[in-house]
Amino acid sequence: MNMLEVEGLRKEYPAFTLQDVSFAVPQGAIVGFIGRNGAGKSTTLKSILGLVHRSGGAVRWCGQDVADCEKTFKENIGVVLGGVDFYPKKKIRAITDVTKRFYPNWDEAKYQHYCKLFSLDGEKRVDQLSSGMKIKYLIALALSHNARLLILDEPTSGLDPVSRDELVTLFRSIVADGTRSILFSTHITSDLEKCASHIVFIKDGAIVHSGTVGDFMAAFADRGSTLEDIIVSIERRELDESAIV
Amino acid sequence: MKALLYKQLRLVAHPMTFVFLFVGVFFLIPSYPYTVAFFYVTLGLFFMFMNGREQRDAAYNAILPVRKGDAVRAACRFSAAVQLLAMVLAVPFAFLSARINPLGTNRGGLDANPALFALGFLLFAVFNVVFLPVFYRSGYKGGVAFVAASACMVPVVLCDVILPHVPGLEWLDAADRASCLRQLPLLAICAAVYAAVTLLSHRRAARLYEKVDL
Repeated sequence: MNMLEVEGLRKEYPAFTLQDVSFAVPQGAIVGFIGRNGAGKSTTLKSILGLVHRSGGAVRWCGQDVADCEKTFKENIGVVLGGVDFYPKKKIRAITDVTKRFYPNWDEAKYQHYCKLFSLDGEKRVDQLSSGMKIKYLIALALSHNARLLILDEPTSGLDPVSRDELVTLFRSIVADGTRSILFSTHITSDLEKCASHIVFIKDGAIVHSGTVGDFMAAFADRGSTLEDIIVSIERRELDESAIV
Repeated sequence: MKALLYKQLRLVAHPMTFVFLFVGVFFLIPSYPYTVAFFYVTLGLFFMFMNGREQRDAAYNAILPVRKGDAVRAACRFSAAVQLLAMVLAVPFAFLSARINPLGTNRGGLDANPALFALGFLLFAVFNVVFLPVFYRSGYKGGVAFVAASACMVPVVLCDVILPHVPGLEWLDAADRASCLRQLPLLAICAAVYAAVTLLSHRRAARLYEKVDL
């Protein structure tokens, strides 16, 4: 069963176009959304969340158009758009106290459990958290309202290798029972190799490939033997040396 | 909506928004255009909207199960609640002003009477109809919105200064019982105008912000 389906998504900007983006996030899957900077990953995620207006296409949550079930959709997802960069001077406790009022199925015991697990101190201000802790805090919020799908925009970018490894391990634990899914964008191929079950590869606003990791490796076997080799081989552009003056 | 209003109170509102709730104390200043007191309330609201922008309230809203338009409606309703509360809290100061300042000696404008509160409603209506749509057209151009709103509020303050000197309108500048009763219909009309304009402004602001790509 697909939790999220994106079909023919289009967004036109004066200098960039997202062209007929289609992919699905199956239940229990970790879908890595990969592409180089500016490929259209964030625009796609924002279009799914309704933060930017689609020029066309459809987004479905459990088979239902999100336009018809926006509240249900948003109550069932957890969103991490590049860490907590809001209310930097507010204490975590204050932000949680506000956030939980938006979710009828908020589970306080679960929240306390994740705070302990991630060593989150409610008395700390947002700007006192490291980048990794900010991501963990948002994941704790999402899991405490029983989000079934986590949408994360480059959650591992800017983190040290140990923190990235911790997060990737956490992602695997989150989907382990098969009820939750994760869609995360990244340009770090090693993170995908460690945890992704599916890959959606976007280049210049268009989907190049969407499917399981095995399908992807088979489809591009002639380009390389690792994800990184394949992506670099497809994305590499010859440098015009005469451009350097 | 309740949760959004709570968020506005707990996270977005600026301390000065609450300080300016007590601008009724301005009514104790002898010879002063008292509509300026209501202007300070709008200044407190400007701080609130700017605080929301600087604290990246839009990014926080993005993770919540709310529509963009609902977040705008909540901010606008909170703003209206601040305006109305400031009005209510100013009433005791109006009575105190009448006792402290001998009637009719305010050389700066209207006495603290129902006509002044009517102008207060008009001033807030002008702020709402200009500031909110201009701000939410982009979601971040608060300075432009406040300059535009302030320019439009100036004529209301000028009315406060000029009206007491217009022949035949002296009754607007009195705070005796009979004059106050005569001013009450004016207060009711301006309150109704405020309510209508504010509702329309909230709708327009929400509609404009729905079109903004974040």
